[in-house]
Amino acid sequence: MGTLGRAFYSVGFWIRETGQALDRLGCRLQGKNSFREQLSRHRTLMNVFDKAPIVDKEAFVAPSASIIGNVQIGRGSSVWYGCVLRGDVNSVTVGSGTNIQDNSLVHVAKSNLSGKVPPTIIGDNVTIGHSAVLHGCTVEDEAFIGMGATVLDGVVVEKHALVAAGALVRQNTRIPSGEIWGGNPAKFLRKLKSTEIDFIPKSAENYSNLAKAHAAENAKPLNAIEFEKVLRKRHAGKDEEYDSMLGIVRETPPELKLANNIEPGK
Amino acid sequence: MATSIARFSRKTLTPTLIRRFSTSSAALATNPDPPKPKLTPSPSPNRANWDYRGQRQIIPLGQWLPKVAVDAYVAPNVVLAGQVTVWDGSSVWNGAVLRGDLNKITLGFCSNVQERCVVHAAWASPTGLPAETLIDRYVTVGAYSLLRSCTIEPECIIGQHSILMEGSLVETRSILEAGSVLPPGRRIPSGELWGGNPARFIRTLTNEETLEIPKLAVAINHLSGDHFSEFLPYSTVYLEVEKFKKSLGIHV
Repeated sequence: MGTLGRAFYSVGFWIRETGQALDRLGCRLQGKNSFREQLSRHRTLMNVFDKAPIVDKEAFVAPSASIIGNVQIGRGSSVWYGCVLRGDVNSVTVGSGTNIQDNSLVHVAKSNLSGKVPPTIIGDNVTIGHSAVLHGCTVEDEAFIGMGATVLDGVVVEKHALVAAGALVRQNTRIPSGEIWGGNPAKFLRKLKSTEIDFIPKSAENYSNLAKAHAAENAKPLNAIEFEKVLRKRHAGKDEEYDSMLGIVRETPPELKLANNIEPGK
Repeated sequence: MATSIARFSRKTLTPTLIRRFSTSSAALATNPDPPKPKLTPSPSPNRANWDYRGQRQIIPLGQWLPKVAVDAYVAPNVVLAGQVTVWDGSSVWNGAVLRGDLNKITLGFCSNVQERCVVHAAWASPTGLPAETLIDRYVTVGAYSLLRSCTIEPECIIGQHSILMEGSLVETRSILEAGSVLPPGRRIPSGELWGGNPARFIRTLTNEETLEIPKLAVAINHLSGDHFSEFLPYSTVYLEVEKFKKSLGIHV
């Protein structure tokens, strides 16, 4: 069987070589319109000369996020897909347990009309919603910035404050503790109920757990990914209800099990 | 392979490349620390500054695997995670993030989610109905929108930079203007034009405008076909990787 295996291997090799030669021929035919794929040059953590990001080892940073320059990210925080945290002209500090959701932008100002140049400071257990834009502002612990909000220079969002979705908070506004501000330009809407105030750190914790699942998945090497693909295909047809009706207990393979604490209801 | 990498790393590679090749604890370390006061973060020496694989497009979580139809165009910088289904003829454009980790996301036939959108599904909806995000057929979701646990019925247009919060329902054949924000639970009745922050009724749509809506979705479908044909079914990056590894002396 050794020679047969070897024969298959060399035939496979010839076919691949032929394929690559055909690929080169096709590129020649396409001429200057052909596209040669390169390795991805996206740098998740990028330093600008001597300003390098410091990211805690238990923080989740999505590979498609960009953390550039003088950025500090604390323990248990998560920076989700497509975010850009640009600390090139000033510093960005993100506390622990904070989540910066997908496609958000956190930047700092170098110069300001009023002259003060505040760094961006984001406290602990803050939730920053999808596609938020934070520019030179201070967000204190356990605040909540709704999705699509734009928070401009010099804004201070105090503890337990909530910026509604789509709000535009103009420069140097101070959002007092326990209030909801929203609209364009942001105005006081109403006070937060105590249930809502309790919900904020809980949502931050839920997001931390979710971040762990995503972190584990994004860090997998190729072998693990391919292995799980096969496992998933084999496991796809199995239905738990049908099995329980038959009295069979089928175990999901441990690689396919998600941690229990991801869904907040469980 | 790990030992040969380690040997080479001590000889020739710079520290950044060491980090690059140790893909294991790239994002997470599991040693429990005693509770410490607010200190500076302690970075892991194994964190990869740069991963030659880039960001994976399809991220399965546990048993959930995002499903993309064969003729759907999903741009390479899109991230589909968790329970996401992209049906036939639909397209997801550059930079969008469809995160179905807490609940399901469905993108119907011939719909499109344009650039830089974020589609997420919350765990629970304030309306009490299932909190999955359902984008039905022939829907155009404009660029930079945020959709969270909303239901969009067939043949709608969602304007650019709009924000649809949990539980909102956009009924069939309605149009949302650009920049509109739907508060949680808002229902947009059928055949009307709404807009603003928060969204308010502007006017009803004429019959001609209603007929244009699926035409726009089909036009974007044709455009996505052009983009789709730019990509080979399998990328040729593996040649670059093999060249790179050979230049570093790592066994391919």
